[in-house]
Amino acid sequence: MGLVAEVDAELKDKGFVTARLDDLMNWARTGSMWPVTFGLACCAIEMMQAGAARYDLDRFGVVFRPSPRQSDVMIVAGTLTNKMAAPLRKVYDQMSDPKWVISMGSCANGGGYYHYSYSVVRGCDRIVPVDIYVPGCPPSAEALIYGILQLQNKVRRTSTIAR
Amino acid sequence: MSETATDTPAPTPSRLEVLAATIGAVCGERALRIASISQELTFEVAPAHLLDVCRQLRDDPRLLFETLADLSGIDYLTFGMDEWNTHTATNAGFSRGVAGLDDIDAPAVPMERRFAVVYHLLSVTLNQRVRLRSYCDAGEPPMTDSVVEVWPGANWFEREAFDLYGILFRGHPDLRRILTDYGFIGHPFRKDFPLIGHVEVRYDPEKQRVVYEPVSIEARTLVPRVIRDDHRYEPALHGRVTSAPGKPNG
Repeated sequence: MGLVAEVDAELKDKGFVTARLDDLMNWARTGSMWPVTFGLACCAIEMMQAGAARYDLDRFGVVFRPSPRQSDVMIVAGTLTNKMAAPLRKVYDQMSDPKWVISMGSCANGGGYYHYSYSVVRGCDRIVPVDIYVPGCPPSAEALIYGILQLQNKVRRTSTIAR
Repeated sequence: MSETATDTPAPTPSRLEVLAATIGAVCGERALRIASISQELTFEVAPAHLLDVCRQLRDDPRLLFETLADLSGIDYLTFGMDEWNTHTATNAGFSRGVAGLDDIDAPAVPMERRFAVVYHLLSVTLNQRVRLRSYCDAGEPPMTDSVVEVWPGANWFEREAFDLYGILFRGHPDLRRILTDYGFIGHPFRKDFPLIGHVEVRYDPEKQRVVYEPVSIEARTLVPRVIRDDHRYEPALHGRVTSAPGKPNG
């Protein structure tokens, strides 16, 4: 039975609906994970594909926002350089709680191809706490969507009002 | 067919040779033609004459090189030297930027000819191109004249060459780093710059900001060892064949 039908039946029966506030909030949170647009390199192209017509991240309530203040999740898509590390942290700090981070691709996960470079951060988890690592170089759009779904699972599992 | 070999007229010189002759006539001894491959012209210019030559190449009605397509630095420190050869690479793999300069016995080129700047010029009007190379003045830091007053587009190219090679351009209006981090030390495209660099960054939760620390990793061989199918570089294994011809590897 779908959610709407369930609610409908309960309304007809009792005239009101009860739900756990936790579940309700998690339902709302996981259904509207707005990422801050943080494309750094070629992974961003794949992230755009995930947002475009064929994969259509809007289906999951994922709507890219141009401002960290309106965002719940940051997708670090691409090579994080030393020069970009401080701005990345600044954007992360500007996001309102609760907030999550998806690290997309080898470079963001651990430096990847540029691990031994003089100018690249060896993993964006040195700068911000990461919730989901999406492997690949670059990960396909499906892989990113899978990562987002995994993040939704994680939020459902761990996120409560009583922290 | 009355025509004989002796009657054939001398072949008309190619456009490339005409251009080379024109440049030779305009610049004289200030521009020295050096080996040109695959139909590309290259001239070497002494730093003292660089600005004169550039201005003439731009303004002479037979040349009209009004576009500077590219400008880049070169570090000749290890020019022509091997860091590896194929025989040992089979065993050990090979790499660049791991062995420091200590392992290099003597520079292959005299140090006063270590740094050069290369200019790629294009004439849209006359559809012709030429390349110039000019060695920097000896000494540290290497210096040469800025061509920003000839081609304003050289501005950011020269900033890039300064950033990556540490070449100073006399007369440049705003010679700042353009690519590397704020406060970066060193010039990363120099052959004696270690690949892993000197610093790495980390977020410090106590200081609430991104901090710089000395680099914590060791340089290592980045390219995996090469194993040939017939063990041609491995005398101990000569004669052994891992896969029969025509039969795909399992």
